[in-house]
Amino acid sequence: MIEQAPALIVVIPLISALFITIIGLYQPRVSWLLTIITFALSSIFAFICLKQVVTVGPISYVFGNWPAPFGIEYAIDHLNALIVLMICVVAFLVAIYSKHDIIKELGDKIPHFYSLFTLLVTGLLGITLTGDAFNLYVLLEISALTSYALLALSGGRAYIATFNYLIMGTIGACFYLLGVGYLLINTGSLNMADISVILSSNTYSYTVLVAFLFIMIGMWTKMALFPLHSWLPNAYTYAPTSTSCLLAPLMTKVSVYVMLRMMTSVFNYDYIFNVLQWQHIIVALAVIAILAGSVLALRQDNLKRMLTYLIVAEIGYMVGGAWLGNANGFTGASYHIIADGFMTLCLFLAIGCIIYKVGDASLSSMKGIFTKMPITMVGFLIGAFSMIGIPPTCGFFSKWYLISGAYEASAWAFLVALLISSLVNAVLFFRIIEVGYFQALPSEEPNHHHPKITRDEAPLTMLIPLLTTAGLLIGIGLYTADIVTYLIHPFIKNFL
Amino acid sequence: MILGFDIISLSLILLCAVLALFIRDLMGSVIVFGAYSFLMCVVWACNGAIDVAFTEATVGAGVGTVFLVSTIYSTTRIDTFKKNRLLKQLFMFAVVCVVGVLLLKTVTDLPQWGDAGSPANTHLSAYYIENSIDQTHVPNVVTSVLADYRGFDTMFETCVVFVAFIGIFSLLRIRKSKTKNAATTSPTTELTLPPHQEVDSLIIKTASHLMVPFMQLFALYVVAHGHYSPGGGFQGGVILGASLILLAVSYNFKKALSILSEKKIILLVSLGVLIYAGIGVICFFLGGNFLDYSVLHKILPATDTIMARSHAMLGVEIGVALTVMVSMYGIYLSLSSNGRFDKGL
Amino acid sequence: MEFIINYYNYIIVVIIMMLGLWGMLALSNLVKKLISMAIFQTGIILFYISMGAKKGASIPIIKQAYDEHHHPIHQTINNMDYANPLTQILMLTAIVVGVATLGLGLALTQRVYSEHKSLHEDEILETLS
Repeated sequence: MIEQAPALIVVIPLISALFITIIGLYQPRVSWLLTIITFALSSIFAFICLKQVVTVGPISYVFGNWPAPFGIEYAIDHLNALIVLMICVVAFLVAIYSKHDIIKELGDKIPHFYSLFTLLVTGLLGITLTGDAFNLYVLLEISALTSYALLALSGGRAYIATFNYLIMGTIGACFYLLGVGYLLINTGSLNMADISVILSSNTYSYTVLVAFLFIMIGMWTKMALFPLHSWLPNAYTYAPTSTSCLLAPLMTKVSVYVMLRMMTSVFNYDYIFNVLQWQHIIVALAVIAILAGSVLALRQDNLKRMLTYLIVAEIGYMVGGAWLGNANGFTGASYHIIADGFMTLCLFLAIGCIIYKVGDASLSSMKGIFTKMPITMVGFLIGAFSMIGIPPTCGFFSKWYLISGAYEASAWAFLVALLISSLVNAVLFFRIIEVGYFQALPSEEPNHHHPKITRDEAPLTMLIPLLTTAGLLIGIGLYTADIVTYLIHPFIKNFL
Repeated sequence: MILGFDIISLSLILLCAVLALFIRDLMGSVIVFGAYSFLMCVVWACNGAIDVAFTEATVGAGVGTVFLVSTIYSTTRIDTFKKNRLLKQLFMFAVVCVVGVLLLKTVTDLPQWGDAGSPANTHLSAYYIENSIDQTHVPNVVTSVLADYRGFDTMFETCVVFVAFIGIFSLLRIRKSKTKNAATTSPTTELTLPPHQEVDSLIIKTASHLMVPFMQLFALYVVAHGHYSPGGGFQGGVILGASLILLAVSYNFKKALSILSEKKIILLVSLGVLIYAGIGVICFFLGGNFLDYSVLHKILPATDTIMARSHAMLGVEIGVALTVMVSMYGIYLSLSSNGRFDKGL
Repeated sequence: MEFIINYYNYIIVVIIMMLGLWGMLALSNLVKKLISMAIFQTGIILFYISMGAKKGASIPIIKQAYDEHHHPIHQTINNMDYANPLTQILMLTAIVVGVATLGLGLALTQRVYSEHKSLHEDEILETLS
């Protein structure tokens, strides 16, 4: 069974999504349990794969037993084994978390929610694992279609926000498909490794440039890089809490990974940084993304909306880091996929707990939140510290690699943008702490105008995932050196 | 491959595309779009892509148009025009022109139309053409690549249909009890609905009754004969779905639901994908990789490893057809009744 | 003229894609946006199909000869004789994905309409503010 692990990671959630739908017709409540079991299993197999990659080296799994360029291949290397594990763990935590929230927000649509949820994660896992450019497109569409349905489930303003996302998402996917078409017309192949070999043996024509450009623009649309970000804030803000908890950490990060994947395993360093020489323009775009995201986040009153703009800024980190063109920048970008995944998850889970108890997430309703929900706020603070970049949380280390990469490449604007963004994050989160901690004090004054705030925490199924995530943020931070030497460096070594 | 014909139909297609975007009446726009799709099928057939043309004729031009029409019935057919959008449209035109120029510049770099020696036509595709018969015993290369060489893609393609159905169903479905509540609190919701008239035409009923068996027979042929002729699970499934949609259109919703109730629809849609994935999982247990049909010869009587692939492909196509048929029908029911599942077009 | 005939398909592809993309971004009616989306996707499909066409080739169904016992006779198969199957399979997938997206988009359109009583993007934005 061990050698089948790469396929099982994807097949288990796929089949369980079908069973969730069928069993959900008769026993809606069971779907929650099934989802949790599914992702527990997937996580185990993802861990097996990771272990095997570290000990043996990259794995290749062919479907239908057809050799690589003719059939579809799963190519697992050090980085995507790690990202797959992250996706499984995030899905597992969100699945546990969603129990009460879904009953409250969606009522009788529970089995549909969980089957879409499971299929969404299936799509993301497949995108990360696959070594076939077209298979990636199909899975991209699966994750996109499920996410449209999941985002719109909450109703109201979510419909039009999701519609805009559908239009932008389709443009992104179509651009990717067009890029793959140009690669196909040039090489006649769809397998990434095979394309890479054929491309590097020929001279790079203008068609290859267009292919690369369209794949990149497609991915930037999907990941909401700054001028193409307009769909993200509305779509995530109006979505059901559990959906945004799942999508915010995963969707954009997986698109970033696809960008890295395309840069490393289809095109190569020489072509991207010496032939094309776009790095200055794209790092500049990343700088604009970081600054714009930070400034827009400052203007928001709703915490969930503020976080969505922070995602836009964080995308700038990863795109900029990857395009610095040196080892530290690339390490920073790869490590930040993991770090940002978990810290976004942590913050969204905390906000979700607050929404569950308080009803909304505007800054003014945060008054006295520390007294009311102290455990939730501990989780929130750890996430916030990671976002700001305070050691020993993992946010600090990714920022450290990015800054040293920027220093090496003399990309001063990017370095300054990173620092400004940390400062803005600090301002943002201390503003919340100020409101939540200090503005609660008036209620304890003797005149008793306000009723005394009592402790009222979210249910345990919501708190445990939150605290686990917070723990993971610190844990990943402490093991940074191991992750970088054993997982990220072997991946980068082939590229640089 | 008639080049002149190709050029004429492509010019017509362009005309249809422009018209579809600029007609004010949405219904007209949709009809022109249907014509666009049909012309597109002709072009694809001219280019040797008979399976794609078949699929577009059933899926794109057929069912796609039905979906569009049912949406327009439950919303509005008027497209209002506002002048203040001109600036945005001009800006977008500039953006699109940049993309267009980028793409037009590549055209001269591309191999000429119909060049059999271009990389896209030699590397992988040559392998499939030359080995399909030997390795799978399936003369229709499209079927063998679809269901076997790249079967993993096709499994997810079926999954896309499943996702679309579950997504649309969960978005639009309104429980009976909820609609009652909504109706009491806001009576306007009922009024904005377009007036539905019960179709009670003897001619339509009889005609569709006569047509449906033949449609279904043809659809089954398309599914079963996909190994040797154009067609397969998707095309056959859509035709089966279309025959059900025809019944639902000519009769009322009660009749439509009596054919397949809501629960059965969900059950069958999942079952189709399950058949596909299940065949893959059986391969696991027989010691092969996922979807490695050749190991199935251990359980299929009187087959060798190659015939096992051929037989498994048929099984897979049946799963695809089942999912596609039922989900097309389910999507139609959801869209045409605005999720109420009480009355349709 | 030679140039236009040889590359006619690709030129049309670019124009169709430009039309579709412009419609998705610039048109205000939601249903029209979806129609533009479908046009954009068919443009891409036409691109793939055009690259797989071969002059003088048949459809990709191998003509197989059988002996009297219905066993296939081994024969050499020439790649030039059959149109490219690979691009066709990819586009079958793309068509199905396209109609799935269209359906989901239409479901969203219906929900938007029942929420805002309009299909016009600007009017919807007005009801929001």
